[in-house]
Amino acid sequence: EDEDIAALTRPDSSVAVGVAGLSGSSSERSFFGQYNGLRRNDTYLLLDLDYIKRDDATGTWTTLQGRDLGLDTREVQFGQQKQGDWKYSLEYNEMVRHDPRTINTSLIGAGSTSPLVSRLATVGSGDELNLNLKRKNVTVSVEKWLSKSLQFEASFKNEDKNGARLFGNGFNCPSGAAPAPTCTTAATGINQWALLMLPEPINSTTKQFDARLNYSNDKLLLSGGYYGSFYNNEYTSMSATVDGNLNNPLGAPMGGAGLSSGLRSILQLPIALPPDNQAHQVFLSGNYAFTPTTRANFKYAYSHASQTDNYSSFGNAPNGRTNLGGSIDTSLYQFGLTSRPMPKLSLLANVRYEDRNDKTPIAYYNIEGTKIFTNGNYSPKRLNGKLEATYQLPAGYRATLGADYESLDRSSFVPTNSVAGLSGLRQKTEESGYRMELRRSMSETLTGAVGYQSSNRSGSGWLKPNSELGVTETSNSAIYSRTAIFPMSMVDRQRDKLKASADWAATEQLSVQFMIEWGEDKFSAPTTKGLNSSHMAFYGMDLAYILSDAWKLTGYWSRGDQTMHVDHSTGYMAALRNLSDTYGIGVKGKPTSRLDIGADLTLTDDKNEYNQGLDASASAANKTLLATSGGLPDVTFRQFTVKMFGKYALQKNSAVRLDLIHQHTKMNEWTWGYGGTPFAYSDNTSVYLKPNQNVTYVGATYIVALP
Amino acid sequence: ADAPATAGAKPPAKDLVLKGDAKCTTCHDEADEPRLLHIGKTKHGTVADGRTPSCTNCHGESDKHTNNPEKLKARPATDRNFSKGTTTPVEARNESCISCHRKDSKRSHWEGSAHQRADVACTSCHQLHTAKDKVADKRTQPEVCFTCHKEQRAQVSKPSHHPVLEGKVACSDCHNAHGSVGPKLVKRDSVVETCYTCHMEKRGPFVHSHEPVNEDCGNCHNPHGTVAESLLKVRAPFLCHQCHTPHGGQLGQLQGQLPTVPTATSSGKSGINYTQARGCMNCHTQVHGSNNPSATNPTPQFNLR
Repeated sequence: EDEDIAALTRPDSSVAVGVAGLSGSSSERSFFGQYNGLRRNDTYLLLDLDYIKRDDATGTWTTLQGRDLGLDTREVQFGQQKQGDWKYSLEYNEMVRHDPRTINTSLIGAGSTSPLVSRLATVGSGDELNLNLKRKNVTVSVEKWLSKSLQFEASFKNEDKNGARLFGNGFNCPSGAAPAPTCTTAATGINQWALLMLPEPINSTTKQFDARLNYSNDKLLLSGGYYGSFYNNEYTSMSATVDGNLNNPLGAPMGGAGLSSGLRSILQLPIALPPDNQAHQVFLSGNYAFTPTTRANFKYAYSHASQTDNYSSFGNAPNGRTNLGGSIDTSLYQFGLTSRPMPKLSLLANVRYEDRNDKTPIAYYNIEGTKIFTNGNYSPKRLNGKLEATYQLPAGYRATLGADYESLDRSSFVPTNSVAGLSGLRQKTEESGYRMELRRSMSETLTGAVGYQSSNRSGSGWLKPNSELGVTETSNSAIYSRTAIFPMSMVDRQRDKLKASADWAATEQLSVQFMIEWGEDKFSAPTTKGLNSSHMAFYGMDLAYILSDAWKLTGYWSRGDQTMHVDHSTGYMAALRNLSDTYGIGVKGKPTSRLDIGADLTLTDDKNEYNQGLDASASAANKTLLATSGGLPDVTFRQFTVKMFGKYALQKNSAVRLDLIHQHTKMNEWTWGYGGTPFAYSDNTSVYLKPNQNVTYVGATYIVALP
Repeated sequence: ADAPATAGAKPPAKDLVLKGDAKCTTCHDEADEPRLLHIGKTKHGTVADGRTPSCTNCHGESDKHTNNPEKLKARPATDRNFSKGTTTPVEARNESCISCHRKDSKRSHWEGSAHQRADVACTSCHQLHTAKDKVADKRTQPEVCFTCHKEQRAQVSKPSHHPVLEGKVACSDCHNAHGSVGPKLVKRDSVVETCYTCHMEKRGPFVHSHEPVNEDCGNCHNPHGTVAESLLKVRAPFLCHQCHTPHGGQLGQLQGQLPTVPTATSSGKSGINYTQARGCMNCHTQVHGSNNPSATNPTPQFNLR
């Protein structure tokens, strides 16, 4: 009997070993195998390990756990701890992303800093290129209770990221930034522009170090420490070499003398890669109990971030500057108070203020004729406040009333900074709102809640970009021009949200959840261009049904419906809509004392509509295009997945498990091609994704308990 | 489990797992749900740690439940009950846990957090009487969170997503469900700082920055999943046209769709080149900022290279 009880109270250790097989080719598995390490091969070793031991005399735990050890998503963790005294752990984790797209290209040196571009004779005649990103990280953590009230915690995480991602380069000669005479001499217009696909090399290391000392007594928790984060990129820039000619917009080789030397040299200029950067933060946070029913929490943090990556791989940096000298100091203050002054009333107040101070020196980075622009300088101050009261009303009702406030002061605009593609800027925006919620336990089996939230954002006067440098504050009417677009994060906004939910235990066996959400944003700017409204609705239900002690059924359905109206300044009025249904059914059962089985079916059915309309000022070409083509087709995505498992206990300490997964994905979209015509870069590089994918996975494992 | 406690001259019952558990284990066994003895497999079952609780520390002395003095047909529940349909107030249930776990710095901002205000009980998410607490394992954690967060459950199934369903990224990698200083219970003090823990290359500062990137990654991305690539809320050019005055006046167009084919002199700023492939990012590749210092034409100020 003692042994039986020990088995029920002792931590379990086990090892699971097996093999998995998958159907289809790698391209058939590009969605299924994007992250799970099952993309490239047809068979895999399955190996999981759980070694968990506790020394009952001292309360010391030893754990060694391994997950997916046969895949390139493997994880291993080893740790020991004496509960309430000390703890350490070491963790190794691999994560991989296989880009679902396959590239067809003649590019040489893809993923390096010096790729060589040469035009393919025809689209699709190149080599297949699959891009991967791999993260490998190691985390070391330690913890020590120095006394009953003092605890030290520290952790260090190092992550190496290697691989390449889809990237590119493009240039259009008539740009205002185009230097004469390199582009303008192509008077025939033949050599005006080119687009290149160039994978971005991502070989970088991220380090994070966190150390804190925690003090606690009956009333106070105080936690102070340091957080440092460091990013190091192996490369600073990349430069392509373009060999030979490229295509013109017709997809044929550029005529005349081919690719002009001017455009070629622009395409070969260095492209910046993310610079090394680092940040140090010291902080103090915690909470304090004034009384058992009145508590405060707080945080103060001071951060210094810098970026001084050397410019040496670039030419033409401003005189005297060898790096940006990026330096940003940020202070964060937060204070919150919760109180229950009487049994039925709860109160909450919270304020948070963040002050970012950009101390980066200003230098002349852009010189375009008579215009001399500088780097930007961004020092926003953000203030958030919240007040809330909740009162227990008669008849089981509970009401909550709250008010929220946010202001964002973007500070003064640097007069020599550039304003790229914006019609106006705002220094300050303010948003205030209120919300209310009513909850009720209507009976022992039914609870429900309904909430409403409304907020309004407005801001200071608009700053109009000058024709040369800088901005000038002006009235809304003065800034008006028919084609002006104002940033969606700065324009006035009225936001309303409604939410309701119910949880119903219909019978002992059946429980049902209902929920519905509705939201609307209305934007108002000096013009109607840009983003002017968005709507969302989300509703659905979940069911859980207990058939018997051995069988349980679950199911859900939800629908999301989002629309957005974004108007182009002169081209279109877009009415975008995303309609998404998600279904799930699950069953779990134990038909015999030795057998556990289960199945989950999920279906995602998603449709995006890209409706474009035209106003009276539309060009004749646009009118013809829309009338002839009907605009952009819908994008649809449908994915059906069934997962089944069966686990059979051979003996008390061993079992076999069989897993079966089948996934069908169907996608109809035009990002990289339309109507059988692939989108082709100027060197005839194309990108492909198999639109219909069927994958079947079968895995069998033998599980044995370790003594 | 509902059998009355045995009375009589039997020798005192022996504790099986926790100190003083005989009060409960004389009646309750593994046939009950939750399986009582499995507490022994957990950290709460580490008896050598003097801080670990007994049954009554969490459930209360529960004399009415133990003795049923009024001989009720349905035995009264324990003083603090955690099962479905319990009448024990959430605050009282949570106090069972917080009284010990208050010292944890990761829970310093529980009071006033969205979950606390929404009456979420610790046991709404955590299972205590099992060696495998679903929410503590990143492979099973999402299904616990999705019990309430159903919109996110739908979003993680979209083609562009973080590997949540694949078990490589957990909700708790970005959120601290026990309260935080940032919005939406993000783990660090702001959205951007949380994203930088994995995407630090976006932090800069850059020579040419893109201010909405510094303000909130959520301006352009939905981290829970989208149909557009790179977790973009909307695909280019529509995403970019929410703020920017586009050059040219063309409709979004697709290669092969035009009733009039491009000419050899068509502009690269055409409806095709900012709609297909990487959209506006075909040329404006450095949307997160460029550290290219070149001060001569063509300057990289429009985040071109």
